[in-house]
Amino acid sequence: MFLEIKNISKSYKKEKVVKNLNFSLDANLTLSVLGKSGCGKTTMLKIIAGLESSEEGEIFLDAKNITREKAEKRNTIYLYQEDLLFPHLNVFENIAFALHIRKLPEKVIITKVKTMLDNLELSGQDHKMPNELSGGQRQRVSFGRAIISNPSLLLLDEPFGSLDSLTRNKMQKLFKNLSRKYNITSIFVTHDLKEALLMGDQIGLMKEGNLKVYDSKEEFINDPGTGVQNEILFWDKLKTGESVEENNSI
Amino acid sequence: MKPKSKHIFLVFLTILIFFPFIFLVLLSMAPEWRFPNILPQYFGPDNWQTILRSETGLLHSFLISLLISLSVGIVSTLFGFLISRSLYYHPQRKWLNLFTYFPYILAPVVFGACLSFFFLKMGIFGNITGVIIAQFLIAFPYALIFFSSFWNKKIKSYEDLVATLGGNQWQKYSRVLFPLAKSMLLICFFQTFLISWFEYGLTSIIGVGKVQTLTIKVFLFIKEANYYYGAISSCLLIFPPVLLLYINKKYVFKNRV
Repeated sequence: MFLEIKNISKSYKKEKVVKNLNFSLDANLTLSVLGKSGCGKTTMLKIIAGLESSEEGEIFLDAKNITREKAEKRNTIYLYQEDLLFPHLNVFENIAFALHIRKLPEKVIITKVKTMLDNLELSGQDHKMPNELSGGQRQRVSFGRAIISNPSLLLLDEPFGSLDSLTRNKMQKLFKNLSRKYNITSIFVTHDLKEALLMGDQIGLMKEGNLKVYDSKEEFINDPGTGVQNEILFWDKLKTGESVEENNSI
Repeated sequence: MKPKSKHIFLVFLTILIFFPFIFLVLLSMAPEWRFPNILPQYFGPDNWQTILRSETGLLHSFLISLLISLSVGIVSTLFGFLISRSLYYHPQRKWLNLFTYFPYILAPVVFGACLSFFFLKMGIFGNITGVIIAQFLIAFPYALIFFSSFWNKKIKSYEDLVATLGGNQWQKYSRVLFPLAKSMLLICFFQTFLISWFEYGLTSIIGVGKVQTLTIKVFLFIKEANYYYGAISSCLLIFPPVLLLYINKKYVFKNRV
């Protein structure tokens, strides 16, 4: 297994927010993690990224124990819901940021960034400042900045949460394409059921600090606790004209 | 208000604001301008040439003031920025922030008197180092309070992002935090420089007359009723702030548009 999480736990003020986390993920796959706000998804991602420390447990990435490694040494990039583009840098410099940090030759940086701009459908926008871009474009630049440095693991914390539905659909497709193209291994956290099903090769459900990873999408769909059945019932009832007031998703 | 009268009013207001400064320059170039003469008998740079002479020590005071204020401004701004970050992440930051107001509870003269015992023991009483440290103790808390508004959750997210992108501490500061705080750093430097530049009470106690900054010199000339030298030293006193104001306007406010 490429990523192995063993017995990770974390508490804030005596309240356990992540409880005995155990799961693994193969290389080049995406694990979608579905869960309500405050269920411990962000804390889990931050522990894996090295931005928070766990009280117990171990993290193995590519057979290497990274539990005590600093965030900058893990080659694991954490992406927020906000695009967090550096406002003092233009599109080119934002995407090239990680490459400049790694002190790559300027020629290599230019070539890589230009290829990335093409992949992101942002050719010709390289000189623009972040405040000149739309929400979708900013999020694309944010992806490009993360993927260009070839991270071992990409951690996405509701990255499309602030986008409108049309832009969100476009971004989902773009992310799928980029994942395949750059062989990205990722954990994709969302509270959107449809997005979790679309984005993940594997799906997990997080509730009150516990994560359950399903063996298959069918198992996930058939589990009444995931809310998929409720969702199907909702649309069926809507079609037949029945009352839909009591329907609840997860 | 009609456009014409508004224009006249604005011109009048501008003259009113700039008149004291223009008058200071005129006074500094007219060494023998006494009542009831409407115009000075001599008008020229004679007085200014005395700056270069050692007897008044004005040039020396100007350079000392510049050295002290630049040191206080740079050190307070840099330390204020770095320490305010540590304060933001400290679990007891509310209490620690409260302590930063302590130097302002006391009048500078009283504060200076309290410090003088320790400065005397450390052997920095009556020298430039002592004055720099004393002024730093006033300017540094100001910088801490000033930068406390810079740190927030978004800046923390930027810091985390740089770390996961592979950036070390130095790269985090040089490539992200300093550029993000550029305007604030410039303003803070400007303010702490001014605090130091116009500081009188604390400097006169810690400097005990041995460290004669330009502000001290201005007071001396005024006490001696030497208006002409007073005017020159005042001109020198307002020159660096005017220059900094120009730099601030050109770079800080331009960046904000």
